[in-house]
Amino acid sequence: MTGLLIKNFVRSKGLMTGLLLLFLSGLISLNVGKHFLEKNQQLIQQTAHFQQENIDRNVKYVNKEIGLLLYYVRFGLANHTPNLAGLSIGQRDINPAVLSVTIRNLEEQKYTTDLMNPMYQLIGNLDFSFVLIYFFPLIIIAFCFNLISEEKEEGTWSLVLSQAISPLKMLRLKLCIRYVSVLTVLLLLLVIAKFYLAIPVDNAFVAFGLTAILYISFWFSVSWLIVSFHRDSSYNALLLLIVWVMLTIVIPASVTTVIVYKYPVPEAFGTVLESRDGYHSKWDQPKEPTIQKFQKHYPQFNRYKHPEGKDYSWLWYYAMQQMGDDEAAVHATDLKTKLRKREAASSVIGLFVPTIHTQQICNHLSQSDMANHLNFIEEVEKFHEQKRLYFYPKIFTDFAIADENWKAFPLAYFQDKVSVNWSLVLIPVFSICVICVVWAGVNFRRPLERNARYE
Amino acid sequence: MRFSVLKILSRQVYRSTIKKRSTLWLIGIFNLMLGFAVVSGYQILTTQQQIVDKYSQQVRHRWEKSPDKHPHRMAHYGYVAFRQKFPLSFFDFGMNSYVGNAVFLEAHRQNTVNFSEASLSNGLLRFGEISAGLILQLLLPLVIFFWGFDLISAERENGTLRILLTQGISWPELIMGKCLGLFSVSLTIFVPVVVISLILLFSNGAIGDNWQSLGYFAILIVGYLVYLLIVSLLAVFVSAKSNTSKSALTKLIGFWLFFTLILPKISLVIGQNLYPSPSKVEFDTAVEHELLAQGDSHNPNDPHFKVLKDSLLQAYGVDSTHKLPFNYGGYVMREGERLSAETYKRHQAKLVAIYQKQQNVVRLTALCNPFMAIKNLSMALSGTDYATYHDFENQAEAYRYKLAQTMNELQIKLISNTTKGSSGKQAIINRKHWAEFPDFSHHFPAFILVFQQEKLAIFSLIIWISGLYFLVTLSSKHFKAF
Repeated sequence: MTGLLIKNFVRSKGLMTGLLLLFLSGLISLNVGKHFLEKNQQLIQQTAHFQQENIDRNVKYVNKEIGLLLYYVRFGLANHTPNLAGLSIGQRDINPAVLSVTIRNLEEQKYTTDLMNPMYQLIGNLDFSFVLIYFFPLIIIAFCFNLISEEKEEGTWSLVLSQAISPLKMLRLKLCIRYVSVLTVLLLLLVIAKFYLAIPVDNAFVAFGLTAILYISFWFSVSWLIVSFHRDSSYNALLLLIVWVMLTIVIPASVTTVIVYKYPVPEAFGTVLESRDGYHSKWDQPKEPTIQKFQKHYPQFNRYKHPEGKDYSWLWYYAMQQMGDDEAAVHATDLKTKLRKREAASSVIGLFVPTIHTQQICNHLSQSDMANHLNFIEEVEKFHEQKRLYFYPKIFTDFAIADENWKAFPLAYFQDKVSVNWSLVLIPVFSICVICVVWAGVNFRRPLERNARYE
Repeated sequence: MRFSVLKILSRQVYRSTIKKRSTLWLIGIFNLMLGFAVVSGYQILTTQQQIVDKYSQQVRHRWEKSPDKHPHRMAHYGYVAFRQKFPLSFFDFGMNSYVGNAVFLEAHRQNTVNFSEASLSNGLLRFGEISAGLILQLLLPLVIFFWGFDLISAERENGTLRILLTQGISWPELIMGKCLGLFSVSLTIFVPVVVISLILLFSNGAIGDNWQSLGYFAILIVGYLVYLLIVSLLAVFVSAKSNTSKSALTKLIGFWLFFTLILPKISLVIGQNLYPSPSKVEFDTAVEHELLAQGDSHNPNDPHFKVLKDSLLQAYGVDSTHKLPFNYGGYVMREGERLSAETYKRHQAKLVAIYQKQQNVVRLTALCNPFMAIKNLSMALSGTDYATYHDFENQAEAYRYKLAQTMNELQIKLISNTTKGSSGKQAIINRKHWAEFPDFSHHFPAFILVFQQEKLAIFSLIIWISGLYFLVTLSSKHFKAF
């Protein structure tokens, strides 16, 4: 029986074409991922190169005061891109991979975006997660919608019923063959990805693979459930297609709209205005209060004084710059909190919607979600602070530029850590699968013979 | 083609489709979704408008209230320009979420437009946003295909097709009649959302551009009507061509997937590979290198500005810049601003040209893809396309340039040439000059620009509708009655 079913499956031109299409689109998506990773690598190399060039040139020409030199010099921090991000590009093509900052106020620098073609962002990448979330279900639906009804519509159902093997067992076998075939394509693509994109086999990759397997299992369970109602092919196809449209387009798109509506971020504009005024308005104010505020923030610099009667000093200048950050701090923190809230809201909703959940887990594992970017921004803040604290005393004492080792500031890297929360990764979709299968089991417990009469 | 026959046929399709419970459900769900989409879109729009208004006023207020100071400090204090949303943008979100909203404008520097909705969002945005545009372009065709796939093939399968044809109805009449019926069913979804949108458009008093957006909306409606007609015609045509209803449905769903999901993504991959665009680092470095070659305008002794100095000294017959009858520092800075802005503009134009080429690859597919055609047209008319955004960038840069140069002019005219530094009594000017500099106001491009940008999309819709029409009338011999 099994042998015959497999033979039947393999000889079906439609099914084989489906698998082939799936495999091909998977390969294209891997290529897109490779292209993305290469471009990213190239960008980081360029930045590293230009940073050294920038430092060397400025040290050569702006060689009198270190305070003025550090007005110009940029230090870059790159957000390390794991190769797994080639499979799920996520927000990585929206948020910059490298931020290069001077030690002046950070608020004016940290929201800088990269140059991107918005039409491309609108259409979105054809990455592996897209193929997984959109294409795999379509093929699964095409494989399963007429699992029973094709037998009925082709008049072979009564033959099935008259076999020694139970009809349910045969249906399970049919489903298994389809499941194994799609699973094979998925695993094949992941193995190819592992070598083609040089992805290390770690927890994140294993979790990524399991998420993908669970996701296709979810679609098989849904199809199995729909099939268990014993309706005709066109009804099943219609219903499954509606489920697909709802889960991949309507629900996630509505959730996005609701989140944008529920959490507007005026704080973003607030930070711009506050940091601008915080810094620029100090030019017209007495110097003492500014310096006092600065020294209240950094008591360790109390011993440095603004030279009496002088129109200008670097202490005063960097104190003004510091005010840009200090006065925007409330807004900036609010902004981050708001963004974390947006992130949290969508992950809660994701628990109930497998498409959203899968996309978010994929992005999380490949460090291409918003959380990663926020972590990166926080690291940029630390990095910037550390540079400030290193250079401030040198600026205030007018340290000789030539005595500093300017080769010691190459591009720095931020490596985010991914913790795999196995139960969060696996349980939500798995439970939905179980519900579908159990429900289908209840449907199948009704005698199958009765349904044969209709045909 | 006889009008009376078309009327009978279309009425029959309309009545038999609308009779079904499932149809009523679908119509109800779609109207709810569309209602939700435009109302929430409108609320997001008005919230954003309020936020932008509030902060624009603050920017203006802070600008005007700035104390007496040196004009160049004012040029560095700068301005913040916010992108206004076109009143119609609630109908089709287009690229709105992917382009920046606020840009800090200051002397010497062209900052990026920051805070796009996408940069403030998580990966969910990649599923799209529920807007009327998305539902009408993407989901409604799918429903039309469901209603229309068996309109002719089922008649063939039942044997009623022969009866119809023997009654003297011609093939073109049959197809056009059924198509019009299907089209009129789709109107039960399209018309309500148009009405709600019109009401919302009228109730939005925040912007005085309502007449402009009303005109755009009229054209948009025509565009969508043509699109729905194309989709209906395609459904009936495929149904007539296919042997069985099942194969008609499979073909139509295949079309849908290919046109909406696959082709746009593939054209994107092709465009990216054909026309690689520079990263920000590359772009900035290229601009910086060119600027370095031009010299530093903050330094009056810069060798590159020496030529300028010598010619000025000669013209005024003096031996030192201090003896010039105007502020020499301001003069040099004005020259520097002009050079750097020109350089930036040139590089920016190159970058935009690359983006345009990339987009043209996608745009070109509109010729064979009516979905892409209506998508582009709809975005352009809703003011959410790249051209509208780029227009904002240009306006912001023009304003920035004007601001910097006005401040330089003030310095040249009002600051004594012998004044040192920028904080002494002589180095500051009265704050009344700040209020004299006009506020930034964002205008939307005129229709002629939108038309030029999207003529390919309009052309494509015309080609599709007339092409399908001719196909129906000319190839009637090849259809099978049984």
